Amino acid sequence: MRLSRVFFLLGFLGVPTAVVILFILVPAILTLIISFTGLDHRFRWEYVGLENYRKILIDPNIWIFVVNTAIFVVGTLVFNVGVGLFLALLSTHVAEPIGYLVRAVYLLPRVTPSVVFAFIMLWIFSPLDSGVLNSFLRNLGIEPIPWTTGYPWIFLFIVNGLVGCSLGMLIFTSAIKSIPQDYIVAARVDGASTLTIILRIVIPMIRGHIMFVTAYQTLSLITSFEYILLTLDGGPGYYTTEVWALAAFHRAFAQYALSSQYGYAAAMTAFLVASAAILTALYWRAFRIREMISQPKIEL
Amino acid sequence: MARPHGIVVNLVAIAIAAIGMAPFALLILLAFSKSPTSLEGFTLDNFAFLITGKLFTEARYSSIYPDIYVVTLNTLILALSVSGIVVLLSSMAGYVLSRYSVPGRGFMLGLILALHGIPVIILLIGLYFLLRSMGMINSLLGVTMAKAVLDLPLGVWVMKGFYDGVPWDIEIASIVDGAGRLRTWLRIMMPLIRPGIAALAVLEFISGWGEFLLIYTLIFSNTSWTLSMVIRGLIGEMGSVNLNLIAALSLYYFIPVLLFFIFTQKYLLRVSLGGVRG
Repeated sequence: MRLSRVFFLLGFLGVPTAVVILFILVPAILTLIISFTGLDHRFRWEYVGLENYRKILIDPNIWIFVVNTAIFVVGTLVFNVGVGLFLALLSTHVAEPIGYLVRAVYLLPRVTPSVVFAFIMLWIFSPLDSGVLNSFLRNLGIEPIPWTTGYPWIFLFIVNGLVGCSLGMLIFTSAIKSIPQDYIVAARVDGASTLTIILRIVIPMIRGHIMFVTAYQTLSLITSFEYILLTLDGGPGYYTTEVWALAAFHRAFAQYALSSQYGYAAAMTAFLVASAAILTALYWRAFRIREMISQPKIEL
Repeated sequence: MARPHGIVVNLVAIAIAAIGMAPFALLILLAFSKSPTSLEGFTLDNFAFLITGKLFTEARYSSIYPDIYVVTLNTLILALSVSGIVVLLSSMAGYVLSRYSVPGRGFMLGLILALHGIPVIILLIGLYFLLRSMGMINSLLGVTMAKAVLDLPLGVWVMKGFYDGVPWDIEIASIVDGAGRLRTWLRIMMPLIRPGIAALAVLEFISGWGEFLLIYTLIFSNTSWTLSMVIRGLIGEMGSVNLNLIAALSLYYFIPVLLFFIFTQKYLLRVSLGGVRG
């Protein structure tokens, strides 16, 4: 290898690698190390072994977090994949400019700053009379409905689902567009209705994509908590919508620094990420992600 | 499949698009509303902060909330730095990963996908202590670096995809003519993938501009706040009192994103897909 080539590779790969190590790998390992300590607001490092993990297992609230995480992941996932599929099917069965408009509009929540989107949704679904839906109902002479306080999960499915559904929508759209027209035309000649074609040809042919989106979003939803933090923040009431990741976040970055339990929170995080990692390994096998990484054609 | 299927389906699609647009239309109406809690009339008063830089005239509030232009400058610095760092480092690493068969290349590509999916929650506590020991806690620099590096795996993956799309012939011609690899990269490859660079730059600007969680966790003093923190603070403090002011500030915060989105959505669709599909 020539010296200039070594320098070239070191510079081009070395600098990105170095920052990734410093700002991703080191923090991740630090979190893991902290999970074996009793670190709190006093910032004293004392090794406590598996004490934090033991405390998690006997925490009376732990099942609330587990159940909440399951509800959150399943509900949002159904919304994400279902609405994503619906939008993809709808936008590919209408005039192209209209289909394009639908896709562009439903991509908006993803690029909107999270605080802004959270604010709009909180206002629309506000349980107060000033909320958009409630002032609409009041004009119709109907009793206001306590949207967020009465149906917090539905509200969270809608907020997170609107942000998340565009991924499925875009992937399904390009999958549907790549289905050979012959199949559709042949089915139509045989007298199949559009609904039959969608159910018998389109959906079976994009099954792989549906599985991929389901897998990908399951994993990201398990550790997701930003929009819950920004809207209901685990409430209303006692841990009603406190998912595992949010509980860990609250333990570490509480409103009052004095109540921060970094060690315990780090252990909760490690627990969560370990379960996500096991799931990822299973998906990796099931979906053969390795095939997406092709070798370069020639080497200069 | 772009066959129009009758008027009804098209009308349904338009209605669905209208529903999707409604939240944003409502935000705009509220930002110009006279009533603090409902849609009523039209006024520019909610945007008075653009002239004075102050959200409130009362002294006790204006000490809590820093000057809006300082906050905007912070937000802008963060967004531009994140965008610059990600574009520069990903166009370097993406080039090598696309063109060289370096040892461990397959492993690196797998690692990039894994890092792309790494949850922020596992990093936050570690980052807090890392930045604290480096003296970068409570500083925009620390947040900028953390944010940029978190987005880097996606950037590398996207840039690699764009380099993969450039035929080898052009590059070989340049190297045969005696230009070195560095020169070829800078003079031949970079201009060829300019659309990719522009798309990633916009995507990362939007990503940095809208960032909330890292700032919420790693910044304590309001002089280093960004717009997301100010809006979050307003929602918490007077979420049901001063809705039209929050809406005006939200709209001000949202407009750059909206403009970028309108002008570059074609590229954005491509990049956000590339991030997960390879």
